Amino acid sequence: MNAWLISALALLPGVLACVWVCARSDVIAGLAALELAGTLSTVELIMLAEGIHRQPFIDLALVLAVMSLIGSLAFARLLERL
Amino acid sequence: MSEVIADVLLSAGVLVLLMCAAGVLLMRSAYDRLHYAAASGWGAVLVVAAVLARESLSLIGDKALVTGAALALTTPVLAHATARAARIRERGSWNAPLGSAAARRRSG
Repeated sequence: MNAWLISALALLPGVLACVWVCARSDVIAGLAALELAGTLSTVELIMLAEGIHRQPFIDLALVLAVMSLIGSLAFARLLERL
Repeated sequence: MSEVIADVLLSAGVLVLLMCAAGVLLMRSAYDRLHYAAASGWGAVLVVAAVLARESLSLIGDKALVTGAALALTTPVLAHATARAARIRERGSWNAPLGSAAARRRSG
């Protein structure tokens, strides 16, 4: 187990914290947690790609970064109208 | 030497990201939480810098650079859009002062 995999493991509590906030807080705080979870997941994939030397994971990270942006923007626009 | 630099950058990035997660978990209001969510782009930049220190501009390095740039540029934009949505939900309009007709219509 190298430093990249240990770092990816160390970031998991951060993702769990975001899940907790999404489940227990109001909708705007949940959206903030969702945005952070998108960033954390993207970084996790970068670390996994580097840690196990699998190039496809870095493609997943790039796609997740873009899709996370689109999803969060859609949520924000939706919440303006509700 | 590049391994040491990569390890230092990686540790710093993980620390920044964990502090952002702690801030989102512990802060009381949604606006306070948004500050920490917006700062997470810097953590991603540090991790990408660690990848670049180790790999230079290889295939993984190039794509990590693009991903890091996307995260660094879009997290503040997302925080702004979310804060705007929160304000519109509170006051009816993004530029309506508290206690205005729009805000009263929204609450009543």
